[in-house]
Amino acid sequence: MTVHAIHIFDRKGKTLFTKRYTSSKQSSTQDAEQLSEQRKLIFGMLFSLRELVGSLTPGNGSPALKSVRTGAGTLHCFETISGLRIAMYTNNNPIMNTIGARAPGADNTKTSFQTALKYIYSDIWVECVVRSPLYRPEDIQVDPVEGKENKSGRFDIKSTNFESKLDAYLASMPWFR
Amino acid sequence: MGFLHLFIVNKSGGLILHRSLSSAAPQIGTNEWLRIGSTFHSLHAIAAEASPVKLPNNKNSNGAQDGIEQIEGGGVILKCLQTRTGIKFVITAEPGTSDLDTVLREIYVLYSDCALKDPFYELEMPIRCELFTNSVDSLMKRVVAGEVMMR
Repeated sequence: MTVHAIHIFDRKGKTLFTKRYTSSKQSSTQDAEQLSEQRKLIFGMLFSLRELVGSLTPGNGSPALKSVRTGAGTLHCFETISGLRIAMYTNNNPIMNTIGARAPGADNTKTSFQTALKYIYSDIWVECVVRSPLYRPEDIQVDPVEGKENKSGRFDIKSTNFESKLDAYLASMPWFR
Repeated sequence: MGFLHLFIVNKSGGLILHRSLSSAAPQIGTNEWLRIGSTFHSLHAIAAEASPVKLPNNKNSNGAQDGIEQIEGGGVILKCLQTRTGIKFVITAEPGTSDLDTVLREIYVLYSDCALKDPFYELEMPIRCELFTNSVDSLMKRVVAGEVMMR
């Protein structure tokens, strides 16, 4: 099991945070613009899929989108009421996806990926970013570029300890590597 | 637990069959179905494109183009089987339903047997074939009764 990448989008589709954990072969040739295009694709896909899943869900079910599996990997998704979306790409692992991923004591519809993403939101994002004294919801440095100095004066998520806490949490998960 | 809908999308994104498999399935109008079919067709391609990891040649183990295989939602689970020729068989069910893959394979068999061998069936056109409809119905009855073997 491997975590490939994690993206956090606001409700308008702007990237608030992005990090790749595995370097692909093309990563040297892929420039920041291509990666930003790819993130737009991911957000658009999540947006449309949520609507599609919503119209296929029978009356009593919740219309949330949890995961999308392709032949190459699985995209796990978590959306908050305020429209913040956390998207995490992992490997396909049938055992983790069916049996091992059930959190003990929780009902069968909740996989531990959902629990993990919820934890990332409620205990890491809210603690480190939302409760930061510098945080202003509409004034966040978006589409972060690697290794570029932030001179816009906007609130930068890189100035909080969100990233280090996120890394520590993910590394503690049995499915991280 | 139970199956909800079955729909089949041809290789150019047109919907060629849609039907509900139980009374619990939400009512969806024909126009809405056409939209769902073509939206799913494009999202299927985008999903493989947006992934940070890709399969060699973008082909899965069946030799078909890679794309959405399964979607888990809060109240629905969707499975898709794409054949080498690009036809997508999509089934939705309530979470916890098993044997979805087997059922999709069986439906593919029924499609080849009942629709493709029908001399009046035109490729890529909507399936209006009584034999296929009845076979799917009896397949569903057998699955619910637990007679279809897991492979």
